[in-house]
Amino acid sequence: MAYNRVTPEIAAQLAAIAPGRVKTGEEISPDYCRDEMPIYGTGLPELSIDVLSTEEVSAVMRICHQNNIPVTTRGAGTGLVGGCVPIQGGIVLCTARMDKIISFDEEQFGVVTQPGVLLETLKAEALKRGLMYPPDPGQKLATIGGNVSTNAGGMRAIKYGTTKDYVRGMTVVLADGEVLRLGANVAKTSMGYNLTQLLTGSEGTLGIITELVLKLIKAPKLEISLMAAFADLETALQAVPKVFMSSFRPTALEFFERDILILSEEYVGKVVWPREVDGQPVQAYLLMIFDGDDLDEIDPILEKMTEFMLEAGAMDVFIADTATKINDIWTARSAFLDCIMDSYKLYDENDVVVPINRISEFVSFFTTEAGQYDFEVRYLGHAGDGNLHIFGVSNEMDEETFKEQIHHWMTSMYCMALQMGGELTGEHGIGHGKIPYFAEYVGEGVMQIHKAIKLAFDPKLILNPGKVC
Amino acid sequence: MSSTSGDLWVFIETSAEGEPANVGLELLNPGRSLCDELGCQLVAVVIAANPTSAVRAAREHGADLVICIEDEAYRRYTAESYTSALSHLISKYKPATLLIGASALGRDLAPRLSSRLQTGLTADCTMLGIDPLSGAISWTRPAFGGNLMAVITCPDHRPQIGTVRPGVFSRRAVSDHQAAIITESYLIPPETVRTQVLEVIAEVSEKVDLESAEIIVSGGRGLGNAKGFDLIRELADCLGGTVGASRGAVDAGWIPHAHQVGQTGKSVAPKLYIACGISGAAQHLAGMSSAETIIAINKDPEARIFAVADFGIVGDLFEAIPLLIGSLKNEGFSSFHGE
Amino acid sequence: MNILVCIKQVPNTQAIAIDPKTNTLIREGVESILNPFDGYALEAAARLQDEHPEVRIYTLSMGPPQAEAVLRESLAIAADTAYLISDPLFGGSDTLATSYILSQGIQRICELEGISFAMIFCGKQAIDGDTAQVGPQIAERLDLPQVTCGLTCELVESALKVIRETDQGREIVLTPLPCLVTFTKPSFEPRFATARRRIASRKAEITRLGCDDLPGIDRSRVGLTGSPTRVLKTYVPQIGKDGIILSDFPLEEATRQLASFLREKALPSGSNQAQPMGTKEGDER
Repeated sequence: MAYNRVTPEIAAQLAAIAPGRVKTGEEISPDYCRDEMPIYGTGLPELSIDVLSTEEVSAVMRICHQNNIPVTTRGAGTGLVGGCVPIQGGIVLCTARMDKIISFDEEQFGVVTQPGVLLETLKAEALKRGLMYPPDPGQKLATIGGNVSTNAGGMRAIKYGTTKDYVRGMTVVLADGEVLRLGANVAKTSMGYNLTQLLTGSEGTLGIITELVLKLIKAPKLEISLMAAFADLETALQAVPKVFMSSFRPTALEFFERDILILSEEYVGKVVWPREVDGQPVQAYLLMIFDGDDLDEIDPILEKMTEFMLEAGAMDVFIADTATKINDIWTARSAFLDCIMDSYKLYDENDVVVPINRISEFVSFFTTEAGQYDFEVRYLGHAGDGNLHIFGVSNEMDEETFKEQIHHWMTSMYCMALQMGGELTGEHGIGHGKIPYFAEYVGEGVMQIHKAIKLAFDPKLILNPGKVC
Repeated sequence: MSSTSGDLWVFIETSAEGEPANVGLELLNPGRSLCDELGCQLVAVVIAANPTSAVRAAREHGADLVICIEDEAYRRYTAESYTSALSHLISKYKPATLLIGASALGRDLAPRLSSRLQTGLTADCTMLGIDPLSGAISWTRPAFGGNLMAVITCPDHRPQIGTVRPGVFSRRAVSDHQAAIITESYLIPPETVRTQVLEVIAEVSEKVDLESAEIIVSGGRGLGNAKGFDLIRELADCLGGTVGASRGAVDAGWIPHAHQVGQTGKSVAPKLYIACGISGAAQHLAGMSSAETIIAINKDPEARIFAVADFGIVGDLFEAIPLLIGSLKNEGFSSFHGE
Repeated sequence: MNILVCIKQVPNTQAIAIDPKTNTLIREGVESILNPFDGYALEAAARLQDEHPEVRIYTLSMGPPQAEAVLRESLAIAADTAYLISDPLFGGSDTLATSYILSQGIQRICELEGISFAMIFCGKQAIDGDTAQVGPQIAERLDLPQVTCGLTCELVESALKVIRETDQGREIVLTPLPCLVTFTKPSFEPRFATARRRIASRKAEITRLGCDDLPGIDRSRVGLTGSPTRVLKTYVPQIGKDGIILSDFPLEEATRQLASFLREKALPSGSNQAQPMGTKEGDER
């Protein structure tokens, strides 16, 4: 696809739409050329524009459509698959400054918000009203628009689902500048194709989200974390499916290995997790959250869960039921990604999903596979939904060799995940980093439909070109 | 001894070598003002193995009278020996008021003494005045993590005792050094002292001298992790300053407690205080708001630190500090300060 | 060998906010927590128990009935037995009266249990009052040697070796038993409660002692009337300076301005020689 360059005339037209918010050349922030996974490369836009309203986005798109100029939309740029990297140049359109929460509907448990609101802000504002926005990706400084565009998941998915379960409606600007309003703040809809859900997770390739109607729920009053320590990872992972076979409903169920935890705690600078039980080293942990409205409701569950974990071979089970303790233990979990980025020059990751009863098998597969390569492996995961975060990291290798070895390793993992009945990515999306694997994973038929949908929305292929399909 | 009853005493803390700690001399300054108002004598009390230097300093800082116990037994402070010696002097001379520095030593000594004398003690005062109704000292101190100030009196018990944080008042030397000196002897039976110091370990890392620093660059929770302090150290080095921290950063384990500024850390009054990623909780403000110039860098425009700042930047400190260091270096600060 | 740990329930002062309209503390919704320094004292006791399994840990708190929550927390972490001193008569006690009541309570527990305490541990201070007085005041009342600002401790024959924090660094102090030690934040974090202990703690019996349960107590020395100090008034400290605050400024420009502000107004001029604070002329601040 041949695109046009941004001429000075076009730049002037765009500058008139967003005075003072259009940048070209060296003025463009280097942040607009990348996301948080630099291994997939950067892209240099010809122009960047910070938009403030649906009208501005619509006006920008009319010009770009007319002139055949690619547009890559971005929020906070915290993605991990190169989704917001302008690999075809053109313009970067940033919605981060559309950061107002427009209104809360406390009776219908909804919120209308602009896309640039940060996830942490949305969560905090909801909580002030006794409400909760449940999706809980680790990166709280992402924008809500970015979360919807990638259908972000997070730790609470096993009880509360992912972003898609909370998107009720949206305002979307199409490639030619037309403005669509999809969905409504109601609980049900059965009107034709569900375009709201189609746009969710479309990574800026079908339209530009400029307003969102999101569902909220009543916030639970209490949250308690249980931490089960195990002498080996396999025993820990074998306990996971049994949790679900019983009637417990944890809000989150995560697993870690000893090495990862130590790395994270050293990075955070605070050691809180028990590393030994009765003098024996802990090799793996399961971390669970239970929530509810009062202790009388949660206590019996905690009691049964504790017995259950001990029977499943836990060395001991610890509890965090005060804000300080809960914060302490989750800090290490949240710091993991930052810690990797800070500790290694080269890193790549995937977020494969496998059936929860096969996590252990999958872990031993990819760690064994990695044995033939020069990079190191770091991983942890949402044990409760089978979504893993698997990193290959290195400080010594040269980039080319690293990329090549990683590619082989990733391919082997995706093949195995496919065989096991899993998914290529649970919450990060395809972007352009996963494109080499996507078509093969889903097959020709699915790709054809993807391409047809793309063309229906964006016949000139100017929206985030080179991503998803 | 009736002439000394009703006086205001300041306990002059000394090191094992007999050097007076700053805080005792600082307290002679507000002590002087209170005595002038109350019409009583300002008495410095020195208990040491070698009190010469402390006695001289007390005279140079405005004491009317110095009461001194000199004995090898007092070379090293112990709660039991000093409590006994001080309560002996107090029962003999009957002062109305006793000021003690709220150093680690003072906070060890004052409560034990108050319990022995069955009198009221107010800790960590930041302001001293006189309650017009009772004529008693009105002690002002922060509570609830500095969110609240409480004004406290001790109307019926004497002496009324208060501790005051180091750095709250400044020392003020006087020209008239004619204070009389009373030397007392008080021998404590050895069995009174039950604790024994086996070993003194100087701070392993470099000593953090926040209290006398002229420039402090502090970091808070906004730094995100321990590594964030690298940036703070870089800025501090560039300015020739000392690194401080908020309680949040210390609680998170990113930096030792010795760096903590605030109500539960050090009270500081530098010429320049740069707060980076510090929201400005009341307990932090309580420890640094008397700095001459306060600079704040924080991404939250609502952060309370901006209310006390002379100059503030709303923005990401990880971007702002490197830029600031660049600008400072361009202006030649690093060479100026002989980095 | 028995250790008593004194603990207090405090509001999480880090979560306290000021109502900008009324300029008063918003205490509503602020969670009540175990005073963190008391948590360090409990951890120190637990570590002694790890080394010496025969050690029994008692916890004691004085406060309203809901202070039971922190006693249950202590049971979940390490304590074997918990006592609560609670009586409306004790309300309004200052530190001197509090230390009197606590020392009466400690003596009463010894009678009830038929034991004596080899060690009494307290937090260095409570984060609501921040006075750091009650520990040493109890030590004086019970005529015990005291060590304040302890970090870690170990039993050495029949004495306790404590590493304590001082203004200059640290020192190692040896104290005979019985003794009283107050603890400050060590370099490690206190342990988590195990789930099993936590479950048991929810059902545990906590003995409550009121004024009538302390036979020897002198009622004129407790509560507001028994307190030598009086709170005349409280107020919310006013802050406010009309500083230059640059928001929505490109950071390059903002930092350039800050650099010139520092050069012109703020940095100590002349040389880099820091003047000793003592020579600074100044009035009371």
